[in-house]
Amino acid sequence: MRKMLLGASAVAALTLAAGGAQAACEPDYSGVTLTAASQTGPYIASALQSAGEEWAKKTCGKVNVVEFPWSELYPKIVTSLSSGEETFDVITFAPAWSPDFTDFLAETPEAMRQGAAWEDIAPIYREQLMVWNGKTLSQTIDGDVHTYTYRIDLFEDPKEQEAFKAKYGYDLAVPKTWQQYLDIAEFFTRPDQGLWGTAEAYRRGGQQFWFFFSHAAAYTNVPGQPGAMFFDPDTMDANINNPGWVRGLEEYVKSSKFAPPNALNFSFGEVNAAVAGGQVAQSIGWGDTGVIAADKAQSKIAGNVGSDILPGSTEIYDYKTKDWKKFDEVVHSPFMAFGGWQAAVPATSQQQEAAWNFIEFLSSPEVSGKAAVTGGTGVNPYRISHTTNMDLWKSLFTEREAKEYLAGQANSLAAPNVVLDMRLPGYFSYTEVVEIELSKALAGEVTAQQALDTVAAEWNRLTDEFGRENQLAAYRAAMGLPPK
Amino acid sequence: MRNDPIKYFFIWPALLIVLGISIFPLIYSLTTSFMSYRLVPPSPPRFVGLDNYASLLTNPRFWQVTWTTSLIAFVSVAIQYVIGFAVALALHAKVPGERLFRVTFLLPMLIAPVAVALIARQIFNPTVGPLNELMTFFGFPNLPFLTQTYWAIGALITVEVWQWTPFIILMLLAGLATLPDDVYEAAALENASKWQQFWGITFPMMLPISAAVVFIRLIESYKIIDTVFVLTGGGPGISTETLTLFAYQEGFKKFNLGYTSALSFLFLITITVIGVVYLAILKPHLAKHR
Repeated sequence: MRKMLLGASAVAALTLAAGGAQAACEPDYSGVTLTAASQTGPYIASALQSAGEEWAKKTCGKVNVVEFPWSELYPKIVTSLSSGEETFDVITFAPAWSPDFTDFLAETPEAMRQGAAWEDIAPIYREQLMVWNGKTLSQTIDGDVHTYTYRIDLFEDPKEQEAFKAKYGYDLAVPKTWQQYLDIAEFFTRPDQGLWGTAEAYRRGGQQFWFFFSHAAAYTNVPGQPGAMFFDPDTMDANINNPGWVRGLEEYVKSSKFAPPNALNFSFGEVNAAVAGGQVAQSIGWGDTGVIAADKAQSKIAGNVGSDILPGSTEIYDYKTKDWKKFDEVVHSPFMAFGGWQAAVPATSQQQEAAWNFIEFLSSPEVSGKAAVTGGTGVNPYRISHTTNMDLWKSLFTEREAKEYLAGQANSLAAPNVVLDMRLPGYFSYTEVVEIELSKALAGEVTAQQALDTVAAEWNRLTDEFGRENQLAAYRAAMGLPPK
Repeated sequence: MRNDPIKYFFIWPALLIVLGISIFPLIYSLTTSFMSYRLVPPSPPRFVGLDNYASLLTNPRFWQVTWTTSLIAFVSVAIQYVIGFAVALALHAKVPGERLFRVTFLLPMLIAPVAVALIARQIFNPTVGPLNELMTFFGFPNLPFLTQTYWAIGALITVEVWQWTPFIILMLLAGLATLPDDVYEAAALENASKWQQFWGITFPMMLPISAAVVFIRLIESYKIIDTVFVLTGGGPGISTETLTLFAYQEGFKKFNLGYTSALSFLFLITITVIGVVYLAILKPHLAKHR
């Protein structure tokens, strides 16, 4: 009898345990191991790792994050995709590589493309960056848009305000136009006080061209002409040497004169250090700048970090009519530099359901919201909830800082004239010549017009080399335009 | 036993493996250099003969990076050799604290080039770098060490000299240790001055090892990439871009494999030509002092 009772108890305990285990695996991916490709951490890879651990607890599956150096990531993915091997279940990649990957990707499941979590993704990502020729093929897991950062203490100092107004004839405030941005930069350039007007990335190979594109976007992205900033979307002729671009470059070069002496060697990392070190009055860049500058542990200006949308312009060059279009109000054209990391599932994966489940989990408002406020993940806001949930940001910012930071992000993503970065086969061939000519222009070796004429000639040559029709088709798809 | 064919049974597999490992990559790379082969945008390999070579040889960028690399290599190795020889002689003469100097001088060589470049980048920083702070202290203006062509090349040469002079010191010190004492004793009996002893004995007898050391350093200097990548990124423009950095840009940023392979072989040819010319110039001198 005693044995029977013990046996019954054991069976009951096992049943309960099994039931408990089943409850823990929801959905149950026991025995499933996903292989996810990422660049070497911490950026993005750490977000994948921590989400993978949480996902494993929830589903009993496992995520094996395979990290590759930046230079290795593209060839590893492209060779596995084009050879049809089932190497990866999840790939994370730069949007610029989309044109080369889209033929090999599984479409995002219908179930994932509906509901509150889906609607919560900022429309510019949901409707454009994640879509290729009408199909949703990837999921944004990081938001990338350039915004403006400034020092509240300097901008709100009555003495500075008075002196600024006396010199420039208008109030010192967050700049509405790039001309105002340059005025402010000039005003605060005081080497004797260890203070300079601005900091941007000017170093070749140091993300410089995205900063230049941010300047140029304000003068070249004509409302109502989507996708015409970089190339003529009908002919694929380069637009990069038109007067709008030249003006953007002239102002980018001018801004370098108001930057710290070593700024020509600044990558984005040095920009952040200059901002956090209190060396500059303002700067532009990705969302990391505000997060780092507000961090008391590494910043001298914590508590005084203001943010806003990038400056704009009241005139934009129309490449079709070949003249400047005037606007009564300032048009802001925030630039989605780089565009933000994407996650996708190769069509060859045998674990597509689990892989999409993991991506859904990784990009869920809760998990991605936590990643967005965790330093070192490289995840910037891309969901509406990322920019509206103040509670998330209280640990990083003061209330005012958080409000401005989130408004800067939200207003940029929602701006009617927001500009997508180009996504083209051979992206780095196109941007390399930009980098070379930019650094020549910054060093004063060539004029803005000469630099951009060289870039335009090389872009047209590359387009012909890669196949004009193919490039045009990819460019139009990337810009959300219908095929010709 | 000597003519026993069994020996081939044991030797050939090892020989084939060694040949396969060392020769196959070269042959593969050489074959790729005759192809139009891009990973971005993906294009299947297509035989184009010598087009990649012709394209490179007519590309002004190739000639500029070759010139920049040569300038950095020759100037830095010349300075390394002069300083290295002087320090080696001093250490060989057992100056006070010679053991400490010997260890200290070798330290730069033991540091990874990327770390050296990061240190140099901090030193040359115009705002917080000690070099410009010193110059400011003495009333001189801040200098654009890493952002103007001539200063940037000067900075790269300085870093090369700082890091690799210890190698020359080490090798020449070993050479000096092998020189026979009796020759110097005989010279001293003839009242030869130290200067005469150096030019008449030390320098000629050190010529073979000097030739080897300079040759090794020249070849190594032509491969410079780490310091350039960290210090200047090849800029401004392409004015400090070196052959290896150019190959990196083509291979790992643009994934232009055919073109990069051709570039690698032109690089190999350049090094070989320099080596042959160098040895041809030195041959009579080496023969004279053998």
